[in-house]
Amino acid sequence: MHRRYSARGGGCARVLDKLRMKPELPGEGATRVIPADAATGQLPAAGERVESTPEIEKKFVHHVYDAIAPHFSATRFARWPKVAAFLGSLPRGSLVLDAGCGNGKYLGVNADCLFLGCDISAPLVNICASRGHEVLVADAVGLPFRSGYGDAAISVAVLHHLSTEGRRRKAVEELVRVVRRGGHVLITVWAVEQEDQSLLAKWTPLGPKYDEEWVNASASPQPRSPSSALSLESIPEAHEHPTRSRARSSSSLIPLKGIVAEEPAGPRAQSPSLKPIIADTSTAADEKPDGSRVPSPSLIPSKGIIGDAEKPDAPRAEGTEMGLPDDDVEQQEYFVPWHLPYHRAEVGGASAAIASGFAKKDDQKGAVVYNRYYHVFKEGELQRLVAGIEDAVVADQFYDKSNWCIVLQKT
Amino acid sequence: MRLLTHNMLACNVKGVVNGYPLRLEAEVVAERPADFNADFLRHIFARIDWKAFVGAARSLPEEHAVADLPEDAEPSMLASEDFLRRFHHALLELHVEKGALVCPETGRRFAIDKGIPNMLLNEDEV
Repeated sequence: MHRRYSARGGGCARVLDKLRMKPELPGEGATRVIPADAATGQLPAAGERVESTPEIEKKFVHHVYDAIAPHFSATRFARWPKVAAFLGSLPRGSLVLDAGCGNGKYLGVNADCLFLGCDISAPLVNICASRGHEVLVADAVGLPFRSGYGDAAISVAVLHHLSTEGRRRKAVEELVRVVRRGGHVLITVWAVEQEDQSLLAKWTPLGPKYDEEWVNASASPQPRSPSSALSLESIPEAHEHPTRSRARSSSSLIPLKGIVAEEPAGPRAQSPSLKPIIADTSTAADEKPDGSRVPSPSLIPSKGIIGDAEKPDAPRAEGTEMGLPDDDVEQQEYFVPWHLPYHRAEVGGASAAIASGFAKKDDQKGAVVYNRYYHVFKEGELQRLVAGIEDAVVADQFYDKSNWCIVLQKT
Repeated sequence: MRLLTHNMLACNVKGVVNGYPLRLEAEVVAERPADFNADFLRHIFARIDWKAFVGAARSLPEEHAVADLPEDAEPSMLASEDFLRRFHHALLELHVEKGALVCPETGRRFAIDKGIPNMLLNEDEV
């Protein structure tokens, strides 16, 4: 009686209307971007509800984190200053929910608050519990909490692991649902617009086959042909740039979680301003004027794209508006490698993973290579995702360290 | 799992209407001291489903069962240090290490192991 949602219906219809107008991407074919049907919330493409976990997430998110949990945790202790600042700004006595808490590095960051973490990876949750944190195993797309109980919620580097627009939106709705009126929600996601664009070359783009083999496929994916864009054999090695690799991590890419040491807390790490800004769906920042180009990282404002949101929409290119193929369109679906050192590998059952083709060996690096699925966000996408949520306004939004971030306030 | 967490959790199996409160079946309970935070207690009080809270506290195995919480609670009680201490202890210092949470509508059981409730649903439940 406490936990039924009210978030379906009109709000979804509005955001979906906007989505229909946005340029379609190879990885976001019509069947996926328009899961349609706001009234029922059904996903016509695969006949699956948004709460149902697609195979690609089970295999290339859940299973991977389960397999790499101890190593992931050992390399994930640095906290992102902006998240810590948000938590530090909460009033004493706040109850904070961390949906997708990973190894729990944000749990307890503000000693005056109470924290409850959850993650879908039981091995990661076990690590949190062993450190004395209050945690449970749960799915961020369907949180098992009564509505309005928390004072704040955070979703740090979680939404980019959800493989459909509908699931990403549902996860945001859940975050809003579980906080009280007036409570805040902080969301951060990886950006397409990486500050170090060379990193993208180390990821494996999921091509048009992505739709065929995963999105439109039934629960069990079809066998993949050797020429498939998804074939593990075809995935190029992520050669770490010597100056970018960090001693404490063997992953080739950690834009969010590996950068903290570079930016000591200072003026830029101050707590986010929480001036409510009404989320106006008619002027939400959407497509870039030409609908295609990745902005030069140096041109990305370090703070806020709020100004853009107030400008009228620029005309869109006809081709992209119609969802026609566009060579310049940004790739957003990727596999990002994780290198699990051999001496760590047996814990996660790496031998079986290699035998089944799920992971592969890299003798040069002395590591087992797993691939994690990412949907990286482009500018304006996070705003679009939250635009249809009727009981929340955007309190702050910013780009920082290769992440798009937004703070919502429940109304 | 603290009783605070129990107070927040509901069964979210597809189609369930009355998934709250989950019946607590505690097998192993541990007591661990927690920092006393009166601000938090006064703040969270309004959100506590008191009936579910007291029901869970009284259902704990004999040596841990809480008998000194009132059947009903009023905000005025928050002025009492004694009440706050008892509230604090039951809410935050009792940890269900092993047991289960049971949906009142469907009987679906969610295991608690090593203090961690597993609230993941099966594919046919979402």
